[in-house]
Amino acid sequence: MSPNRREFLAVAGASVFAGYAGFAGAPPKRHPLNTTPHVSVIRAKSYTDDLVSRILEGVKQCGLNVRGQRVLLKPNLVEFDAQTCVNTDVAVVAAALEAFRSLGAAEVGIGEGPGHRRDTYAIAEMTRYRGEVPNFDAVFTDLNRDDVSPIQGFADRGEIYLPNTALRADLIVSLAKMKTHHWAGATLSMKNFFGVVPGSVYGWPKNELHQVGIDESIVELNRIFRRTFAIVDGIVGMEGNGPIQGTPKQVGVLVMGADLPSVDATCCRIMGIDPAKIDYLTMAAERGLGVIDEARVEQRGETIKSVATKFELISEFKQIRLV
Amino acid sequence: MNAPTAAVRLRGTQNADGGWGYFPGKQSWLEPTFYAAIALQGEPAADRAWTLLKSWQAPDGGWRPSADVQVPTWSTSLCVSLAQSRGEFGEPFQKGVSWLLSSAGNEAPLWWRILLKTKLVGESDRDLRYIGWPWKPNSASWVEPTAHAIIALKQASLKVSSAKLWDRVRTGESHLMDVRCTDGGWNVGNRSARAQDLIAYPETTAIALLGLQGHKDLDKSLDLAARMARDTISPLARAWLTIALKIYGADVPPSAVQTTSSPETMIAALSLIAEEKAQFFHTGATT
Repeated sequence: MSPNRREFLAVAGASVFAGYAGFAGAPPKRHPLNTTPHVSVIRAKSYTDDLVSRILEGVKQCGLNVRGQRVLLKPNLVEFDAQTCVNTDVAVVAAALEAFRSLGAAEVGIGEGPGHRRDTYAIAEMTRYRGEVPNFDAVFTDLNRDDVSPIQGFADRGEIYLPNTALRADLIVSLAKMKTHHWAGATLSMKNFFGVVPGSVYGWPKNELHQVGIDESIVELNRIFRRTFAIVDGIVGMEGNGPIQGTPKQVGVLVMGADLPSVDATCCRIMGIDPAKIDYLTMAAERGLGVIDEARVEQRGETIKSVATKFELISEFKQIRLV
Repeated sequence: MNAPTAAVRLRGTQNADGGWGYFPGKQSWLEPTFYAAIALQGEPAADRAWTLLKSWQAPDGGWRPSADVQVPTWSTSLCVSLAQSRGEFGEPFQKGVSWLLSSAGNEAPLWWRILLKTKLVGESDRDLRYIGWPWKPNSASWVEPTAHAIIALKQASLKVSSAKLWDRVRTGESHLMDVRCTDGGWNVGNRSARAQDLIAYPETTAIALLGLQGHKDLDKSLDLAARMARDTISPLARAWLTIALKIYGADVPPSAVQTTSSPETMIAALSLIAEEKAQFFHTGATT
C-alpha cells in the first residue's frame, strides 16, 4: 500500500554492502565504471521464431561465458491467464533453457515466486510452462517456498531472507517482460528480482518491498544479486496500466546484457521512456550498479531507433516520456 | 488427490524433526506442518508436529514460520487455532492470542495519510479506519492474514474473555468487507489499482469467507465462490473453496475442469482437510 518512499529513506552507503552470508562465491561488487557495458538488441517478430538462435546470438554479442556454471533462469510469472501479455512467454523460457544448456552450463534451472497467486504450479500449468518446457517440474524451483537464508543489510531493514536456490546460483538470468508499471514507471530485468523474495516469509503480495520503497527495494535486490544477465522479452510487451492490467504491445525484440541498468535503460528508450526519469535506474547508476547513460553503452545488434515504439503511459507517468 | 492418497503421502514425507517442508525432502516450515497436522490429527505424526511447532514460538508469543527465520509472522494464527483444536489452552495458546491482539497492519506512513486527506495524491481504495492483520510486522493488512487471525480469535473467544478481542475481530471483518472486489470476491487485499477494478482470486475469496462466518451480505460472494470452485484448475483453490462452501452449508459443485497435479505438501493436506475435516475452520462465534 505504501507509495514510493525513496525520499524518506536514508540512502544506503557502501558500508552496508554485504556478502552472501554462508555462501561460497564472489561477494557483490560495484560496477567497474571504467568498462563499457554491451547491450544486444535482437529482432524476433514472434514466439514461433527460432528463439534459441536469437538468444545465442545475443549472448555471444555480450561476451557471456557460462561454461560449468549453475544458471538459474528467472522468468516473470505472475498470473493465470495465458492469453494476456503479463508473463514472460513460455517460448522465451524454453529457448533460454536450451540455449544455456548448449553453452555448457553445468546446470540450468528455472525459479520464480509469483507475487500474488499462491498456487505456483497451477499458474505454470495455465501459462503452458509445464506443458512446453521439457521436464518442467524437475528443473523448476518455487522460490516462494524454497529453503531460505538471511542476508544482512537491506535498505533500512537489518536483513532479508532469500531463497537458497537463488543465492547459490553462479548466474541468475532475469527473463523479464517489457512492461509499463503503474508505480515504478517500467518493469524490466531489475524489477523482476522481486520474484526471488519468498512469500513464505513476506506473504502474498510481498508488501515489505513496498514498505521499504519499490525503487529502493529494486536497487537493493540488484545490489545483493550481482552475478546476473538479462534477457527481456519484448516480442510482445505490455503498455498502459501495467504490470497486470495493461494491453499488449508488439515490439518484436529481445534485449540482452550483463549490465542490468544498461539493459533496462535501453528497453526504456525502445519504449519511449526516459530512463533518467525512472527512479530506480538513476539510483542504480548513482550507486555504481551499472550504466544508464546512452553514450556509455555499446549497443549491439539492432539500433534503438530502428525498433523503438512508444508505449502508452498512464496519466500519472506522462512526465517520463522520452522527448 | 483423494483423502487416502493424501494421507499416505503425508505420512511418508514427514521430516525427522516432526515437520513437513513445502515439498518432500525440503526443510520443515510452519504452514505445511500445520495443515499436515490437521489432516493427520489423532495420529502420533500430528503430535510430533505440534511438539516441533511449539518450539518455534518466540518469547513474545508470536510464531516463527520456520527454524531458520527469526521473525514471528501471521502464521501465529494457525498455531493458535491448532492449540485450541487440541484442547491446549496453556501458555503457548495464551501468549499466541496476546501476540495476535497486538499485531496490526501498518497501512501507510503518517505523511502519506495526511497527503491522502488533502486529496493531493488521489484516494486510497481502503478505508484506513479498518485495520486488519499483516503477513509480517511493519507491513499493511492483507486478506489472508486478516482472515486467519479472525478465525483464530473467534475460536479462541470460547476460552479468552476480552473486549479487545471482539473489537479487533469486528474491525478485521470491516476491513475484509471494505476491500471486497466489485465481483463479490477478494483479491489479495485491494479492490482496485489505479482506479481500475481488480478481479477476485478463488483461494483468497474462500479464506475471506471463512473469516467472515456469521457476517451478513455474503450471498454474492458465495455465488462467486461456487462458480470459482467449479471452474478453477488449481487444487489449492478447489480445496479452500470446498472448505468454505461446506462451512456455509452450501453445495460444492463438481469440477468442470481437470485440476492440476501438484507436488506441494500443503495442497495434499488441504485436499484431505477439504474432504474430511473442513469443520476445523468452523468458528461458531459471530459478532
